[in-house]
Amino acid sequence: MNAAASATAATSSVYSQTQCKLSSDFRSKIKCLLFFNDVHHRKSRFLLAPRAAAPNTGNDSKNENVGDEEKREVQKQQRVIQQQQPVSLSLDDVNPVGLGRRSRQLFDEVWRKFSGLGQISRTIRTDDQEALDALLVREGPMCEFAIPGAQNTTVLVVGATSRIGRIVVRKLMLRGYAVKALVRRADEEVVDLLPRSVEIVIGDVGDPTTVKAAVEGCNKIIYCATARSAITGDLFRVDHRGVYNLTKAFQDHNNKLAQSRAGKSSKSKLLIAKFKSVSSLNGWEVRQGTYFQDVVASKYDGGMDAKFEFTENGDAVFSGYVFNRGGYVELSKKLSLPLGYTLDRYEGLVLSVGGNGRSYVLILEAGPLADPSQSRLYFSRISTKVGFCRVRVPFSSFRPVKPDDPVLDPFLVHTLTIRFEPRRQRPVEVNATMKQDLRSFKLILEYIKALPTGQETDFVLVSCSGLGIEPSRREQVLKAKRAGEDSLRRSGLGYTIVRPGPLQEEPGGQRALIFDQGNRISQGISCADVADICVKALHDTTARNKSFDVCYEYIAEDGRELYELVAHLPDKANNYLTPALSVLEKNT
Amino acid sequence: MKMVVLKVPTATATARASSQLQWRCSVVAVAPTTVFLNMNLHVTGRERGKWKWRVKCSSGSEKGVVNFGPGSPLRATNILVVGGTGTLGRQIVRRALDEGYDVRCLVRPRPAPADFLRDWGATVVNADLSKPETIPATLVGIHTIIDCATGRPEEPIKTVDWEGKVALIQCAKAMGIQKYVFYSIHNCDKHPEVPLMEIKYCTEKFLRDSGLNHIIIRLCGFMQGLIGQYAVPILEEKSVWGTDAPTRIAYMDTQDIARLTFIAIRNDKLNGKLLTFAGPRAWTTQEVITLCERLAGQDANVTTVPVSILRLTRQLTRFFEWTNDVADRLAFSEVLTSDTVFSVPMAETYNLLGVDSKDIITLEKYLQDYFTNILKKLKDLKAQSKQTDIYF
Repeated sequence: MNAAASATAATSSVYSQTQCKLSSDFRSKIKCLLFFNDVHHRKSRFLLAPRAAAPNTGNDSKNENVGDEEKREVQKQQRVIQQQQPVSLSLDDVNPVGLGRRSRQLFDEVWRKFSGLGQISRTIRTDDQEALDALLVREGPMCEFAIPGAQNTTVLVVGATSRIGRIVVRKLMLRGYAVKALVRRADEEVVDLLPRSVEIVIGDVGDPTTVKAAVEGCNKIIYCATARSAITGDLFRVDHRGVYNLTKAFQDHNNKLAQSRAGKSSKSKLLIAKFKSVSSLNGWEVRQGTYFQDVVASKYDGGMDAKFEFTENGDAVFSGYVFNRGGYVELSKKLSLPLGYTLDRYEGLVLSVGGNGRSYVLILEAGPLADPSQSRLYFSRISTKVGFCRVRVPFSSFRPVKPDDPVLDPFLVHTLTIRFEPRRQRPVEVNATMKQDLRSFKLILEYIKALPTGQETDFVLVSCSGLGIEPSRREQVLKAKRAGEDSLRRSGLGYTIVRPGPLQEEPGGQRALIFDQGNRISQGISCADVADICVKALHDTTARNKSFDVCYEYIAEDGRELYELVAHLPDKANNYLTPALSVLEKNT
Repeated sequence: MKMVVLKVPTATATARASSQLQWRCSVVAVAPTTVFLNMNLHVTGRERGKWKWRVKCSSGSEKGVVNFGPGSPLRATNILVVGGTGTLGRQIVRRALDEGYDVRCLVRPRPAPADFLRDWGATVVNADLSKPETIPATLVGIHTIIDCATGRPEEPIKTVDWEGKVALIQCAKAMGIQKYVFYSIHNCDKHPEVPLMEIKYCTEKFLRDSGLNHIIIRLCGFMQGLIGQYAVPILEEKSVWGTDAPTRIAYMDTQDIARLTFIAIRNDKLNGKLLTFAGPRAWTTQEVITLCERLAGQDANVTTVPVSILRLTRQLTRFFEWTNDVADRLAFSEVLTSDTVFSVPMAETYNLLGVDSKDIITLEKYLQDYFTNILKKLKDLKAQSKQTDIYF
């Protein structure tokens, strides 16, 4: 106050000519403020109880607050408007209360528009705002983040409070998805962390019963939970069993839904063969043969033998040896699919096998059933591990035996053959001291199933690349993560496995990313970028059934560039994920 | 962290009371030709002084700044958006959330809370810029403030835009906020006769003098505003109000503004810089209406109000004391009479930010998107109504 007064005094000479105007200006300002309250008050009264106002004139008492001249001005405008409107009279129209109210509305509208012209910023009325928001901001196609199909999709985010999960949830909300979040405890802290319209499910991934409730009504799952500690029990519960429980619960849910529609879930696998009893071996036929039919070869024959039998332990074992050069033995069966099923609705086979880790050739015979002479052969090489494992063989990996034949059409497949040949066998590293004869084999068959096709991924799993983990625990962490990945891969669900480098908490979209397969990455990545990849992968057909590593771009030292790495800059404007993933291997 | 909360309100409270602790308003003699004549910004409602002034902030870093020493490092992803419910603000919030920021929104306590912000995943804190004592608590743990608040046209312009901003900047300074982004208006230094522009200009200077690490972004016009003003009325065959002003404005999509803002925030080279964001082309009102007509495929019912009438109204309302508020609202008409162009060449800015100019949406494209979407929707509705006709 003092400062102001003295300052005014000091500069009064400069402003002497404007002083008078100014002081009046200021006084008016104060009055105006008083009036403002008044206007406001009256306005609200009009809105709440319009009938209380005097209805006799078209121009209501609010005009008192506006200058005379201006009133005339506005009336002029108003007259123009009124002239334009067609006149129709009814008893309601001449009702003085109604007339007064309508003229007031009209005046307000005209004044709003008129004054809007002279303003920089405009207030949009709340109802208009709602309509505009719906189109421009929230779900409309004009919105930057809008994704077609998001509205009908419910996504379950597991680990919604994790570093990545938090951002995933927000991104999903911005895009208009319905989101369910699985959290362990619904503390106030946790609830505050999540957007309010997220449906919170309390449960633990290690507990199959709670997981069941979580997948209810979900179309897709993003799994970004990870064990809080490197304790083996935790790792097993969250990273391994957690993924398994969710895939199982999700498949169960899909089946339940399909049953209620009296159909079968399009996401479940088709059983082709299950080796559980002696009778299940019926129809499988052991054959042998050689690639060369010359005399020299047969001269050095060591002979070959193979058998397929059901052991006392309950295993179906295909075993034998091939000492012939160019010889092979095979196990073959004509497929008999359940009625109404054809393999064209499936995209590959999954075999659950055990044994001593040899590699085999899968051969599919395809052609019209009526005419076996037209059958064409397609082959794909699979390798197994010592002990039990599941092998995914997509139909796309089968190549015609005669190079000129067309690509495999799964619809026509009628015979499946598993062939062992001693060529191209690699020694197994397990027991180096024991002498291995690569020409003998043992294959325990558990089941053969067909994997359902699909366009999109059903389950996005955030795994890890193993970088940045304390070296002493790395082995264990990776083991659990890989076990989790495996259980997802054999579930039949469309999957995307993201293995980010060490996570950094910084904004996303800043640096180019490298998508790679084969454990070669060396950089970190921001949580937001990982979240973006997860969300983008939901509707990206190239992301289905892929595992990949991702990290920031790095500049290799001169002369040390090992690979040409294609960097992709994440930006909302371009879809970086499709080109990045389309070059990567499927079914990995 | 406790310490921050306890200490700061007292500091600002004294600052407010005496206006001397951290900053001073010194009234500087200005040549009569300059344009501060009509301005009478009063600092608080309590101070009954009237003055013409130029704002000078003397809150140097040596005084009044509380240094709390090394604490837990603040994550750069913690941002506070002021004015998150506005046209630009909500795009800023969405953009920030999508880029992985933890967003806190300062909104005024109101009966109908801004639920959509919370639905997107932002945290909402209640505070009112016109009540400075509510501000400090909201700044705890914040790295960057993005200030896109502007008072609504129907409320007195000074409460939020001047007093509120001054309080916010002081508070940010006192609490060691590491970056402050302020949105201003293009050409605001050239039109002091418009109160809002004058205030924005003063705030720019105040911010610069405060010593805060800041970026000032001057904006021209939002494409989003045109929808409600022209596109919707044309489609609804209502009358469109326009002026015959020759003023050209380079409208820009708020989504683009938000995108560029975050690129600018992360670029440390831009600290303390003044950036102007403008759209690819400057348009007059008439041109916009013509464009809308072409895209909608129907003629608009245009009511053209000559700028002279707007000016006259403003002059008249200024004449009466009680209509001064109305006059303030119409102040922009003064700018409209001049053939000012609200646009700047953007090549340098694009370069600075590393943005490709073809990624910035043009008004033609924007409105075209709007009309195709809307017309498609209308068609769907029509098709639906036809289907129901069959059952009659």
